[in-house]
Amino acid sequence: MSGVKPAPEPGHLGYTVQGIGVADMAVQSDIMEAAGPYDRAKALSAFKFGDVTFYWITRACAISVLLILGGIIVSLIAGAWPAIREYGFSFLFTSRWAPSNDPPVLGALGPIYGTLVTSVIAMTIAIPVGLGIAIFLTELCPQWLRRPIGIAVELLAGIPSIIYGMWGFFVLGPFMADSFQPFVIKVFDGVPILGTIFAGPPSYLSLFNASLILAIMVLPFITAISVDVFKTVPPVLKEAAYGVGCTTWEVVRNVVIPYTKVGVIGGIMLALGRALGETMAVTFIIGNAFKITGSVFSPGTTISAAIASEFAESDGLHQSGLILLGLLLFVLTFFVLAAARIMLMRLEKKAGN
Amino acid sequence: MNDLSVSVSAANGPVPQVALPDAPPKVTARGLNFYYGEHHALKNINLTLGTHRVTAFIGPSGCGKSTLLRIFNRMYDLYPGQKATGQLMLDQTNILDPKLDLNLLRARVGMVFQKPTPFPMTIYENIAFGIRLYEKISKSEMDGRVEKALRGGALWNEVKDKLNASGLSLSGGQQQRLCIARTVAVRPEVILFDEPCSALDPISTAKVEELIQELSEDYTIAIVTHNMQQAARVSDKTAFMYLGELVEFDDTNKIFTSPSDRRTQDYITGRFG
Repeated sequence: MSGVKPAPEPGHLGYTVQGIGVADMAVQSDIMEAAGPYDRAKALSAFKFGDVTFYWITRACAISVLLILGGIIVSLIAGAWPAIREYGFSFLFTSRWAPSNDPPVLGALGPIYGTLVTSVIAMTIAIPVGLGIAIFLTELCPQWLRRPIGIAVELLAGIPSIIYGMWGFFVLGPFMADSFQPFVIKVFDGVPILGTIFAGPPSYLSLFNASLILAIMVLPFITAISVDVFKTVPPVLKEAAYGVGCTTWEVVRNVVIPYTKVGVIGGIMLALGRALGETMAVTFIIGNAFKITGSVFSPGTTISAAIASEFAESDGLHQSGLILLGLLLFVLTFFVLAAARIMLMRLEKKAGN
Repeated sequence: MNDLSVSVSAANGPVPQVALPDAPPKVTARGLNFYYGEHHALKNINLTLGTHRVTAFIGPSGCGKSTLLRIFNRMYDLYPGQKATGQLMLDQTNILDPKLDLNLLRARVGMVFQKPTPFPMTIYENIAFGIRLYEKISKSEMDGRVEKALRGGALWNEVKDKLNASGLSLSGGQQQRLCIARTVAVRPEVILFDEPCSALDPISTAKVEELIQELSEDYTIAIVTHNMQQAARVSDKTAFMYLGELVEFDDTNKIFTSPSDRRTQDYITGRFG
């Protein structure tokens, strides 16, 4: 390249750069030449080095996620291995949990049941309320009220779970046990099925109280994500729906929600993921009882609450059993997310895309 | 770049040669004003839309054409801070009456927008949806109504084999005709078109224009357009608006051949706008 200037002709560049005339460009290239021969190839190779470095750094970041995930799975399986060998599949179907027996009798049915029941009840409460708040905020709320409610929702998401736990223990639990539960028990007394689900006695610590706290905790996720996706609906589409004479409810039900369903379901799944795994607040108020009764007003436990409350004092097979519980939670969450994906794909197919 | 020659109408053919007899008024505006907050967007508008006539609104961007259209079905009501004063009658109904049932008003005054706005559902449902808001009818009756509406929108032959496909799978021009069919399906009295062809290619535009002419046999039509040839082609009466005022309102023929106001003359000959 010695002496030869492989730089682009000034005229050529002058046309491509808007606003810089050919003459200006010529002046600029004179300056370049004055500063020494411009080695285009060298400059390019420097860029190329930067590009390759950038590629490898981002790639390493992405791969580290896989490594971390893989590492967690491997160590969970390794830790759970003694329990897997000891109990096998019966671990899933045994409801007895007696770690101090010799040998310990461990069964995951109680925690799995508790996890599923609390999550289902929490979502049953949180989805309608969360969507309701989101619809109110985006479609109906007067301008001046929007900010206060929006900020309140964000703050709700920011409260640490331990505070929910304490509040549940000292305020919500007593209130539920003294007022709400006796009332509901009385109402459904003698009714088939419902009578069993809402059977006494009232308790400060119960599956239902934990579900309620969970519902409050996941509410902001559903609301915040729904508000964001509702805002993506083009105003003209809503106007068109109002234009054929829809009421606000009809616009929301037939246009806003179908248009945004993928995002809304995403938010719900995020919330469900949190509900399944939430530990601290639930540990405070669920009662940590491994037995299964039909009533939601009786104490129970969840997978994460069981691990949190017992892990510190466990060893040997007991500890391995707790790790196996953790692995189960991992698998459960994975299946929930996979089910959500499949559901979304079905929805898209149904929409005819 | 506006290279319209002086005689737009002569250069672009079909302008109704004979002025139609005056039609009974369908929509009547008297001293109509409109405000976006403090901004006085429409000033003292007086005009009538004749029954089963096509009225075109032309004028440079920002002159208030679309704003006026959005008063006819109270679409502005969705947004706080916008208000209209004066008198606006649809037959004997006062459109500006705050106690008016807006859903029923919008069933009587349908609207087609600049961009096609199919709802996120199947083609069939896009039509049936609007009908269901007002009428409880059987499946077979609904099938008939959907077919009739799609025929009315000149779309039936193109979509009859894929009624269960998403409305969004259609081309832009088809989507716009779907929106027209959807509007017609509710059996309105007035249809408002807000630049219905500005997002469409020339062939789709021609189809929509033809459709508008056909629809004018049964409906009172108001169309906002930036395309003066389009106004000349499809409308019976034309209103020229400028800076929120109605400058001139007359037979389309007259507006495009011998406008009485200097500003109209300048606009249609391309001297400004």
